Amino acid sequence: MNEKIKNGIVFGTMTALLAGLSLWCWFGKDPEFSESERRVLAKFPELSFETIVSGKFMTEFETYAMDQFPLRDSFRTLQSAAKLGAFAQLDNNGLYTKDGYLAKMEYPMQEAMLENAANKFQFLYDTYMKEQGSQVYFSIIPDKHYFLGEGRLAMDYDKLVASMREKTEYMQYIDIFPCLELEDYYRTDTHWRQERIGDVADTLANAMGAELSGDYTQNTLDHPFYGVYYGQLALPVKPDTLYYMTSDTLNSCVVTSYNTGLPVEKPLYNMEAATGRDPYEMFLCGSDALVTIENPNAETDKELIVFRDSFGSSLIPLLAEGYAKITVVDIRYVQSAMLGNLVEFKGQDVLFLYSTLVLNNSMGLR
Amino acid sequence: MLFSSITFLYYFLPCVLILYFLSPKVLKNTVLLIASLAFYACGEPKYVILMAVSILCGYICGLLIEKFQGKIGAKIALGASAVISLGFLAYFKYADFFIENFNAATGLSIPMLQLALPIGISFYTFQILSYTIDVYRKDVAAQRNIISLAAYVSLFPQLIAGPIVRYSDVAQQLSVRTHSISGAALGIRRFILGLSKKIFIANALGELCAEFHATEDNSVLFCWLYGIAYSLQIYFDFSGYSDMAIGLGKLFGFDFMENFNYPYISKSVTEFWRRWHISLGSWFRDYVYIPLGGNRGSKLKWLRNILIVWLLTGFWHGAAWNFIVWGLFFAVFLVAEKLFLLKYLQKSKVLSHIYVLLLAIVSFVIFGAADMGQAWQELLGMAGLRGLPLVSAEALYYLRSYALILILACVGATPLPKKLAALAQEKAGLVMTIAEPVGLAVFFLTATSYLVNGSFNPFLYFRF
Repeated sequence: MNEKIKNGIVFGTMTALLAGLSLWCWFGKDPEFSESERRVLAKFPELSFETIVSGKFMTEFETYAMDQFPLRDSFRTLQSAAKLGAFAQLDNNGLYTKDGYLAKMEYPMQEAMLENAANKFQFLYDTYMKEQGSQVYFSIIPDKHYFLGEGRLAMDYDKLVASMREKTEYMQYIDIFPCLELEDYYRTDTHWRQERIGDVADTLANAMGAELSGDYTQNTLDHPFYGVYYGQLALPVKPDTLYYMTSDTLNSCVVTSYNTGLPVEKPLYNMEAATGRDPYEMFLCGSDALVTIENPNAETDKELIVFRDSFGSSLIPLLAEGYAKITVVDIRYVQSAMLGNLVEFKGQDVLFLYSTLVLNNSMGLR
Repeated sequence: MLFSSITFLYYFLPCVLILYFLSPKVLKNTVLLIASLAFYACGEPKYVILMAVSILCGYICGLLIEKFQGKIGAKIALGASAVISLGFLAYFKYADFFIENFNAATGLSIPMLQLALPIGISFYTFQILSYTIDVYRKDVAAQRNIISLAAYVSLFPQLIAGPIVRYSDVAQQLSVRTHSISGAALGIRRFILGLSKKIFIANALGELCAEFHATEDNSVLFCWLYGIAYSLQIYFDFSGYSDMAIGLGKLFGFDFMENFNYPYISKSVTEFWRRWHISLGSWFRDYVYIPLGGNRGSKLKWLRNILIVWLLTGFWHGAAWNFIVWGLFFAVFLVAEKLFLLKYLQKSKVLSHIYVLLLAIVSFVIFGAADMGQAWQELLGMAGLRGLPLVSAEALYYLRSYALILILACVGATPLPKKLAALAQEKAGLVMTIAEPVGLAVFFLTATSYLVNGSFNPFLYFRF
């Protein structure tokens, strides 16, 4: 009797589950964008004789079916929880959670990528700086895994630094590793926290002969910050709070972006981006290729050119006080060979400021 | 289309179930046939025609065999069926292998055909052959309804990864079959068990194997970890597919044969092959080994029969030397067991288990390699003869990360979970009445979550 009831319950439960989710799949509304994953979701593919025969329709339909599955974010959470919790795996596609932080394993060290980055830097130095007598500095930012990697696969960060220093002997290396600790990074994001890296800015400025007062007001963004790892790992963790630093000097700075080739004045902190998909994009025009910060109150006429990745966005404003003008270049979005047309190199100090993440995955450097 | 995909679970299967159960009895096989052709077309649109031609040839040959029963015409029709079916298989699956080896032996450079292998061709070819041979042997009557025969050959639950269903086993069910809630519940249970085996164990271990193949930090430990993980992956993947096929069959009123019976608890290779891919083993036994004379006649003839069967068994799995070596590897131990080894193995249960597990691991390292060169390197690595360190950071990390899955896989490869479930049912039947459906729903939803997230989900049978 029990068996019969049980079979009935199994049949009823599973039929209801399958029917309910299937109907939702078929008739549910298809969202265009995933906020948590920060990406456009697949649309229903083109249905034609050609796409069916070529197999294109089914390939694209598989992606569509996954992307548009009802309660997608909840299912992604369930998957992460099952993998990292129930099955006790140490990472989920390289992502993991430890001590309340979400992080990604940066592993293994890719010597070819370091070589590629070094070659790009060498090209920039030879083409634009060598003849001008620029003082050239180099600093490497450790990613979060440097602090959390114990017990997981981690590259030898000392080896990475040594390798890069060896390849860039023409630059003066500034070691900022001792200035940093885990708490200097967001819990849910890749990046460091602007309000915690004043000592990094001081260390860099001191090494480059600039002076900073470090007199800032800390402002709180009234919007929860769910970082990039939050979306990727999909685990239910509290959002970060994003703080940003202001001062009279910073408020008077003029920020100009040359993203389209033409100068466009922009705010130092973009409050529209702060409430957008990636609040970290609020710092210094986000991922614009070429930005200048002019400081009308500077007590010096020193200028600085910074080659940077996204970590630089939150740090560079803290250096603004020490320079009359800082030119910020992201060679992931502008060709190095074209730079001479956009920036006037006239012997300014130059800082190459890159995270281990970009150096170890440097194919994006152009 | 994989069973373990959102497309299959939430689009294809519900549509087929609705159409199937809404259609009158007389149209059910037609619905299954159309669904099966659509299922196949989703992966291989152009090869649907090839399968249709194979089915048509099998159908006509079956009728001719029956018509000319006892006469030379029956032999010719059977021969034609074998030549056409095996001809397609040889052309699409083995032509490039033979051309490549011929070129290598002669120094010629005959261009390769570079054809995409039609998925499932080895499975449906063997099903058609079993049908025409059984008709020839008068074990079954020829099927006059082409839709019923086509539905049998192309039946989507077993089309791309088996089991190889004999026509004689389902002939009756093609005409008359019953559907019940209890039968459907059994099917659902079995399907979810198979889906869980595939997604939680096989795919996870597949990721570990992929890490091994990508590593630059190899070690003896990692080689062994790979050998063990791959042996478990292929078991859970293949038996998971078979479970899903059997479960789907039950939903549609069919009873397919069991394909796996805890092979890793075997105490000899002979026993292992009675428990591993049973439908293939019994196919070769009934249609090749016994017709060749089996173990009757001289020892030399028996040895020849064994070697032929295992060479073919290996070759069936893929057109590459490592599959042939894999088959012959088992042949050597089967012969050795028959001649002298079995009596020694019977003396120690522990040693006989270790012996089977070691051979299985070695065999699957050969099986899983891209070629014999890679297989040899991996075996040398396991033996510590490649100058690799004993342990590496990656090996230790993955051992820790996959420890629970490996333990679950090892336990799951024994009858222990089944026994525990039966015990729980006996001791706490009422609790199980609720716990089992809840458990099944949790497994199903969690499996769905892995699919939604696009987790690693390989199809291992693209070379079969």
